[in-house]
Amino acid sequence: MEVLGSLAGGFATALQPQYLLFAAIGVSLGTLIGVLPGIGPALTVALLLPLTYSFDPIGAFIMFAGIYYGGMYGGSTTSILLNTPGESASIVTTLEGFQMAKRGRGGPALATAAIGSFVAGTISTIAITLFAPFVAGVALAFQPADYFALMVLAFVSVSALVGRSLLRGATSLFIGLFIGSIGIDVLTGQSRLTFGVTELLDGLNIVVVAVGLFAVGEALSVASRMRAERGDVLAVKGRVWMTRDDFKRSWPAWLRGTLIGFPLGALPAGGAEIPTFLSYNVEKRLSKHREEFGTGAIEGVAGPEAANNAAFSGVLVPLLTLGIPTSATAAVMLAAFQVYDLQPGPLLFTKAPELVWALIASLYIGNVMLLLLNLPLIRIWVKILEIPRPVLYAGILAFATLGVYSAANSVLDVLIMYSIGVLGFFARRLDFPVGPIVLGVILGPLLETQFRRAMSISQGDLSTFVTRPLSAAILAVAVGALLLPYLPRIIARVRGRREPVDRLVFGDDSDE
Amino acid sequence: MIGDAKDAKDASRGLLEARLAAAVVIGLGLLALFGATQVGAGAGYVAVGPSLMPTVIGVGLVALGALLLLRATVRPDLDLARHVAAEAALTDWPTTGLTLAALVAYALTLGPLGYVLATTWFIPVVARILGSRRPVRDLVVGVAIGIVVYVAFTQFLGVRLPAGLLDPVLP
Repeated sequence: MEVLGSLAGGFATALQPQYLLFAAIGVSLGTLIGVLPGIGPALTVALLLPLTYSFDPIGAFIMFAGIYYGGMYGGSTTSILLNTPGESASIVTTLEGFQMAKRGRGGPALATAAIGSFVAGTISTIAITLFAPFVAGVALAFQPADYFALMVLAFVSVSALVGRSLLRGATSLFIGLFIGSIGIDVLTGQSRLTFGVTELLDGLNIVVVAVGLFAVGEALSVASRMRAERGDVLAVKGRVWMTRDDFKRSWPAWLRGTLIGFPLGALPAGGAEIPTFLSYNVEKRLSKHREEFGTGAIEGVAGPEAANNAAFSGVLVPLLTLGIPTSATAAVMLAAFQVYDLQPGPLLFTKAPELVWALIASLYIGNVMLLLLNLPLIRIWVKILEIPRPVLYAGILAFATLGVYSAANSVLDVLIMYSIGVLGFFARRLDFPVGPIVLGVILGPLLETQFRRAMSISQGDLSTFVTRPLSAAILAVAVGALLLPYLPRIIARVRGRREPVDRLVFGDDSDE
Repeated sequence: MIGDAKDAKDASRGLLEARLAAAVVIGLGLLALFGATQVGAGAGYVAVGPSLMPTVIGVGLVALGALLLLRATVRPDLDLARHVAAEAALTDWPTTGLTLAALVAYALTLGPLGYVLATTWFIPVVARILGSRRPVRDLVVGVAIGIVVYVAFTQFLGVRLPAGLLDPVLP
């Protein structure tokens, strides 16, 4: 019961009045920014990162937990009322959520998303409390070769399973690796890919990349279409609260969504896209109201939103215990740890127990605050969506600039961020996923370091990756993840049939 | 039949952009390979030197770019071509270009004009570019954001922002 003692210690820290205030500010700011259309949790965290620089680490991370949950919750609001998901994990929510809003049931849709997020977030936080110290203990025995294999698995699953094309996913990943390699090599001190530009020696900050890709890339996309399209906000009519029947249909979906979301998020193959699609399909199959799917079935919002939140919490397990971010949001979180000179990994639990447990305790607190603040305030958050879009996007661009500029007072950083925004604009246009770029930037250098360490230990013998049972097993899973989308086609080929079978996709067109 | 002709034209336009993207990816790969040759060896023995990663990235990007080119020529990816054509039909280049130009001007004027004044011009100008018809309201928003953010960041968060021309009057 050592865990309970540590957790109690964490609560004792996190319940201090100033930290409660930080949590409240974090939840409100996270929701406020997350509600803006086209802005998902990764960008919310990246934009608000500079705000936390002046706090002590514990205060900053408590605020962070709030921003994280607030950003996720805010994202569901735009999916439901505007049909614009802030990120790929919210795409499923639009399927039923927007239909519900169209039929004047936006209130219950938002409520089931909020309560579902709370339920999933709380259950997942309990799971983190129980599992994370255990995983961290196991991870102490991990060798560089195992870490390398884990990161290969994360890379493969992100580029192969998400998005419509393995080829384009892999290309995005390699572009990310390119950006991540710019700067001084940590092991030898040699400069790489800087092409003589001194300012590049420190490398590109992940915040510069994330804000550029998500904020500027998105804003330019919207700007290019501003005259062709109009986004109309659906008003929240009638009762916000759910009926007894809504509730009866929602709660099993919340629990199933959590069960699907947490384990899949916790695997170092993470991301939240796959669990949300799985949850939607499960709900559709199990529902007694299958005919309502496509026209606004509440289970279709409750399940995926719970899965989304649970997966996002699950992502914290590999992040905290192994130091491996498996989603764009987690990559930005890792950058936050690095700002405070903290290296997440198995040693974090022994080196900075006060911080870890305060962070976990604040996940519980953040969840409760989110529910208390957001349910009554739904109508106010919805008002934010009524900001005229030209002013809104001008504001987003100003804040993106502020976020990058205030970190180092560097105009060059801002200009690089804009260039990466142009890259993001063309990536959207040509259907290249942007998540793998962010992941490549932050995971690439980690992967390289572990690879080189493993090779130093084995004295240059490549077979070390396949002779260690653990790394060999993980690499085998990675190969499996690579082949999985082509399985139907391979089976058809083996059976001697020739008709074209589509590739399995877990991206935005896997439905039907 | 006319619809087919239009579809084919759209698809070829989309494939052209896909080919350009493939070329850019190959170019990036060659750049990485060139960069790899520029990396110094460093002192002492290391099992794997610092130039391996750029080499792997370069080879990977060239190979992926070649495959992308294949999918845009010999075995055209028509789904992608249609997606790009749909995007292209909606794209208004002057709006996009002007937005980008305003951004660059904003970054360059932040220092000399200071945060408050730069934001004061930036918000209404970009809002106008994006189609707003209410310049006075937009100007008010710009002034408000400029002042509120400046005061909040410099006074409460301890983050330095340039005061610029308004240095004598700002707190």
